[in-house]
Amino acid sequence: MGRLLTLLALGVLSTAARAQADLDLTLDVRAVASDGLPSYLDGGLGKLRFDPDHDGLRLGQLRLALRTPVTDTLGFTAEATTWGDHDKQSLDLIEAVFDWRPLPGSAWRTEVRAGAFYAPVSLENRMRGWRSPYTLSPSAINTWVGEELRTIGVEYNLDWLGALEGHGIDVGLTAAAFGWNDPAGIILALRGWSVHDRQTTLFGRVGQPGEGKVDGRTLFYDDIDDRIGVYGGGSVKWRGLLELRALRYDNRGDPEKEAPAIDDYAWDTRFDSFGARFTPTAHWTIIAQAMRGITEVGEVRSKWYFHSRFLLASWQTGPHRLSVRTESFSTRQVATAYGSYNDDDGSAFTAAYGYEFSTRWSVMAEGLWIRGRLPLRRALAEPVFASERQLQLAVRLDL
Amino acid sequence: MHSTGRPRSAGVIASTLLLGLAQRVCAAELPVTILQADGRPLAGAVVVAEPAVAAPRPRTPLQATMDQRDLSFVPDVLVVRTGTAVEFPNSDKVRHQVYSFSGAKTFKLSLYAGRAHPPVVFDKPGLVTLGCNIHDGMIGHIVVTDSPWFGRTDAQGHLAFTSLPDGSYTVRIWHARIADAPSQLERAVQLADGRAAPTTFQLARKLKPSQHNHGTDQRWDDY
Repeated sequence: MGRLLTLLALGVLSTAARAQADLDLTLDVRAVASDGLPSYLDGGLGKLRFDPDHDGLRLGQLRLALRTPVTDTLGFTAEATTWGDHDKQSLDLIEAVFDWRPLPGSAWRTEVRAGAFYAPVSLENRMRGWRSPYTLSPSAINTWVGEELRTIGVEYNLDWLGALEGHGIDVGLTAAAFGWNDPAGIILALRGWSVHDRQTTLFGRVGQPGEGKVDGRTLFYDDIDDRIGVYGGGSVKWRGLLELRALRYDNRGDPEKEAPAIDDYAWDTRFDSFGARFTPTAHWTIIAQAMRGITEVGEVRSKWYFHSRFLLASWQTGPHRLSVRTESFSTRQVATAYGSYNDDDGSAFTAAYGYEFSTRWSVMAEGLWIRGRLPLRRALAEPVFASERQLQLAVRLDL
Repeated sequence: MHSTGRPRSAGVIASTLLLGLAQRVCAAELPVTILQADGRPLAGAVVVAEPAVAAPRPRTPLQATMDQRDLSFVPDVLVVRTGTAVEFPNSDKVRHQVYSFSGAKTFKLSLYAGRAHPPVVFDKPGLVTLGCNIHDGMIGHIVVTDSPWFGRTDAQGHLAFTSLPDGSYTVRIWHARIADAPSQLERAVQLADGRAAPTTFQLARKLKPSQHNHGTDQRWDDY
């Protein structure tokens, strides 16, 4: 898959050289103060990206992106990033996607996306590179999407553009078939929810608790069972004020299929996702999302239910943006012969203030407070109940 | 301009007299007011006075501009005479892909920035709805009319045509939010001796909800 993507990317690059390609570069540098437990990135069970051993001046992200028309209705986007902490590759892809969107001849429009890209779950991550304009760290739901979910396959969208015909409403249907997402669920089950902005790159790794330095896994986006995963959903946009989304996802993993090379099973992960984004005025944005699902693994069918929801309010005027978010999350392991100490219960509160000096320079300060109970921490001699706090100041340069 | 005081003054006086005479002979006032169902005025509505006898075609080619700024069409509604060549410059930093599938004009402008495309000639009267295939929230309208007399209502819901020759007219109104049946949106008006009775459109139905484009940014993507 890696070679195929690289070949495709090279083909597109030659086209891009002739077309009017856009190249983006983002440098995000952070000053961080954290009192959290050892981060999941370093084998701990802390829920923050940065812990006291890894705070101070940090690289938030270095991002490179290419977007180019291939033909009049076919575009290509590649997003690559480096995080500066345990990157397996110094610069790796987050997305590489072809988007075919023929011009509509009526209010009905089709769109096909193919490649590696995000399923339409998040209503927060609207900036290029799947970043949030509201906070530095997306909600627990969207953090998990960034950690473990990527559609590597094909997505079909059918939109009815009713607003064009004066009906004030657009309706969209989406359906996708994908592979290479069989490990999805493992982090959620074994570590619980987290709140951070570190998206897993296509050929990168995610830490597992207790393994230290995220070396435990090889490929994260992998296909173990040769079964195609699917999702389907819909969206409604009303008068440009309200957007509703629903999605049902099932990676159709075969929990009994094991991949010895990476010492892992295919995780069978299904969830329902709902979201609403309300923009009543030019200043206010309100976002709410909820997700509930289940993941199963192994011959004994260890089973976890997971659930999370959040509410975000953001106020923007001129160069200022102020956002607050409250959320709760849980995972419940159904009791098995091995016990059920993988449960996760917690809540988080986030407040962020952003200021744009220009289209190139901006800063954002974020305070994040996350509390929760995670019995698994006993195994690492960490407190079961923990309250973790993190302050970040990001200086961003966008070119 | 160079001229001595006296002849210039004389010329100005003569012109004013002639203009006054001309107005008295063939120009008149045709006042139109549009009220919403609740009695409040409707601003920004398009009003067209169509003469019973077709107006002469313009001698010079007509041109107009529909700009794209901050993910919006500017103006939101453009009224042009049939045959007008409309340019669609893109003043945003992102590319747009403008299209219409309206009966009065079907066209597509491939993905572009700046002034990449020649003007589009609108050669049939009617309503043309514009969209952008990249930004679904961008919606604009072009009203194409054979009549040379058109305008939009002010904040008081008012528009007065002041240079119409005597004769029979059909006054038609349009606004993206009007929900009344089309038959309720036109009125026959007689203009005689430079005068016409004030025409008031009292809408019977509540306006359709307005379309907004809040909380977006052209640097964002469509995730």
